Amino acid sequence: MNRVRNTKLILWLITGFAAAIALNRFIFGLGVTTNLTDRTPWGLWIGFDVMGGVALAAGGFVITAIFYMMKREEFHPLVKPAVLTAFLGYVAVVLSLLVDLGLPWNIWHMIIFWNPHSPLFEVGWCVMLYTTVLLLEFSPVPLESFSRYARIRNFLMKFRFVFVLLGIMLSTLHQSSLGSLFLIMPFKVYPLWYSYILPIQFFISAVALGLMMVAFESLVSHWLFKRKPETDLVAKLCKTAVWVLATYFLVKMIDIIAEGKFGLIFNGSWESNLFIVEVLISTIIPAMMFAVPKFAGKSKVQWIGSFMVIFGVVLNRIDVGGLTMLWATGGSYTPLWTEIFISLGIVSFAALVFLFAIEHFHVWDLQPKEPDALPHTLPSFDYSSKTWLGTPDVSGLTKYSLAFVISFAVGMFLMPGKHLHSKGIENFKVTHASGFDTLYVNGNRDDQLVKFPHEAHIAWLRTHKNPLVGDGNFNNMLSMGTDSCSACHHLSIPGEKLSNCSECHTRMYTQVDFFNHNWHTSSDGAKLRCDDCHKPGMNRSAQSAKHCTSCHTTYKFAINKKSSVENYYILSYTDALHKLCVSCHMKESKIVKDKPNLALCSTCHKTQLPENLTAGLNWKISLPHFNNVILPDVKPEIADKDKK
Amino acid sequence: MSKGILTDVTKCIGCLKCVSACKETHHLEADEPRIWQKNDGLSAENWTSIIRKENNRYVRKQCRHCLEPACASVCPVGAMHKTKIGAVVYDSSKCLGCRYCMMACPFGIPRYEWDKAVPYVEKCILCYDRIKEGEQPACTTVCPQQATIFGERSELLKIAHKRIKENPGKYINKVWGEHEVGGTSVLYLSDIDLGFLSYPTKLGNEPLPEKTATAMESVPFAFVGMGGIMLGLNWIIRRRMENSKEQNKPNRFINKKKEPADE
Repeated sequence: MNRVRNTKLILWLITGFAAAIALNRFIFGLGVTTNLTDRTPWGLWIGFDVMGGVALAAGGFVITAIFYMMKREEFHPLVKPAVLTAFLGYVAVVLSLLVDLGLPWNIWHMIIFWNPHSPLFEVGWCVMLYTTVLLLEFSPVPLESFSRYARIRNFLMKFRFVFVLLGIMLSTLHQSSLGSLFLIMPFKVYPLWYSYILPIQFFISAVALGLMMVAFESLVSHWLFKRKPETDLVAKLCKTAVWVLATYFLVKMIDIIAEGKFGLIFNGSWESNLFIVEVLISTIIPAMMFAVPKFAGKSKVQWIGSFMVIFGVVLNRIDVGGLTMLWATGGSYTPLWTEIFISLGIVSFAALVFLFAIEHFHVWDLQPKEPDALPHTLPSFDYSSKTWLGTPDVSGLTKYSLAFVISFAVGMFLMPGKHLHSKGIENFKVTHASGFDTLYVNGNRDDQLVKFPHEAHIAWLRTHKNPLVGDGNFNNMLSMGTDSCSACHHLSIPGEKLSNCSECHTRMYTQVDFFNHNWHTSSDGAKLRCDDCHKPGMNRSAQSAKHCTSCHTTYKFAINKKSSVENYYILSYTDALHKLCVSCHMKESKIVKDKPNLALCSTCHKTQLPENLTAGLNWKISLPHFNNVILPDVKPEIADKDKK
Repeated sequence: MSKGILTDVTKCIGCLKCVSACKETHHLEADEPRIWQKNDGLSAENWTSIIRKENNRYVRKQCRHCLEPACASVCPVGAMHKTKIGAVVYDSSKCLGCRYCMMACPFGIPRYEWDKAVPYVEKCILCYDRIKEGEQPACTTVCPQQATIFGERSELLKIAHKRIKENPGKYINKVWGEHEVGGTSVLYLSDIDLGFLSYPTKLGNEPLPEKTATAMESVPFAFVGMGGIMLGLNWIIRRRMENSKEQNKPNRFINKKKEPADE
């Protein structure tokens, strides 16, 4: 039975891969393992896994309603697999919720902290209760194999009708409440999808999807185990679905026309095209296909039609769940490959459990007939020859576990934390100031430059009696005569030239390590041995090293004697430049009146880039995301520590 | 007793003192631009921001503290709630991390700590701890231009209308936040359109939680109703099957569609 084996192998591979990604998601957080943003806080996991998953599991309540409530006993062969699928569907929903929630370990809070106004509260409770009910509904099937649990099984069988009734009632609630989730967002959901009767639309489409899901699942599992498909039963489901789909279509269209949104369908925007495609796939085409009596009984038509409804309705859930909000939020969201694989992995896991149950328990009225389909005879140990008399099934198990482990390892390999972390703009590199007589400072490349008249500043320093005299440091610097470069540049540091600020303050917003260890040890640099600085016998750390001033005696840079690691860090570019300019101009403004108001950012940050400077420079690497952002003055730790 | 903030856009000089005061008060860390942020300057580490507009206009963005907040209405565990004093506050110990509040907020205010393994929702809480003790929020204390002021919401509204009256032509004749989504505690006076503070669709004056109220109120009826329909259907079909058995016509109803009760 190669078909089943190969399918299982693929499912195990995907599950292993997804398990590795899920592990990384819990270690590194959502930001780096998904494409979710503040604009689009809900993504694929909510749109497909949760919204779509609940809808896909609708088969359970639809078929039990038909079988137990309406007494259509010919559907018996479809009931048990459909209930099993529904149960696994809900398990998958809960699993994906656990991945998607920021604080999944708090999921039980819904039991004790109540907020009955919230549709999500209701959905949460219904999902919890319904999953339990489904478990109780289905558990007689596996319990059949264990005679010692016969009592429990009998007890459960007695109340089966109650469970089924409860299941239908709960499903009605949360299938529709998934629509209520979006009632509060009229400003976000595109008008074609937003409706006051979203809950009703969701419920009707869930019934249609439920019917088609039962049909599709019967077709798939029969293909997989090479059995004769239950074409007649499926045809009946398809014919019923025509009525449900027609109702869904009418309700939707009447609502759209009544709200005066009909024109939106054909206005040519991508949303309108999406709407047309969705309605065609989910309702019109399959309903028309099934409505022809000749077609409904054909296996191929059943395959295509049921798949179209499933695809279409799940697309509808994804559309309402976020895809059609992009026009309002202005963001763009494509799921990251990690998100897609976790979704696939959860589905694969559920499929594996489904196959396990089919092979081991009495889910089908007719068990798979091929001997290979029941490969759970364990190898027996032969004492005379002292060997295991193996069966092909063991090699299968080995293969599966190997597949899982290997794909898990591949998954871990593809998710190195370092790579993920760099996704945020950390270590934002600074561009040098450019220009000659006038410098253009565009460190953060947002094209809101600061025009800095360098020559004018030099001239001013040379000619004016500096009002800053009095401050010890500046006094010192000005004693250098007409050359007052040191008023701004750190000329007190040995070997210091007139270097760009950006040479040391290399990062825009973060502090930078100032001490260059490599240079001190290299043969081109200071040619020092380890013991020259680090005390022998101690760990070679910054603490055990000699203080800079013990060699650099002329080093007047502000390093106090209580040196710690932080002292090796220097200010970020923004802070360095702001402090340099603002501190000077502030003091000056007390003496000279009518000076630019430095409290206004735009006093400095408003210059347009001169065209002759644009050519050949990398300034145009502006980041469109952050054009409007004004970043606050970042307070580096070092400043706080110095204060203390 | 409901407090609020009035921000006068014409007075703001964009000095960002409110932003740094906020960061200091709430011990927010320095942040770097990350790709999951919106371009309005708000983030998990920035609860208020200044949006720069043309002609040296600066608009402070912060939580609006709606009178009937959507975020509080949708939170399944009630981690968000509107206090009597006016602030909408967040209880991180209850939070599940479902991010429904972020989806439901008509102004797109709540932000998430996407880079943390234990992430929380972050937003302005109107310095709840400070105003409980009779102090002002940090941002309004430091504003050098009195562009953003704190007080009783009703009094702030009076001040706003007075300013519009006394300076004809200076402002757009509207107090942002007076009526939208049922009113907000944070109000704006402006000479430029502030539509960019919310989504492109007009918000309307109806409080957003009312939109789900009808659906949520009909939940018990739907629950009982569906149970009733199912039981009724079951009873009718069973009776008809029994009748047909008596008449020795087995399976008479089995291959037919469900029919309305015509008995």
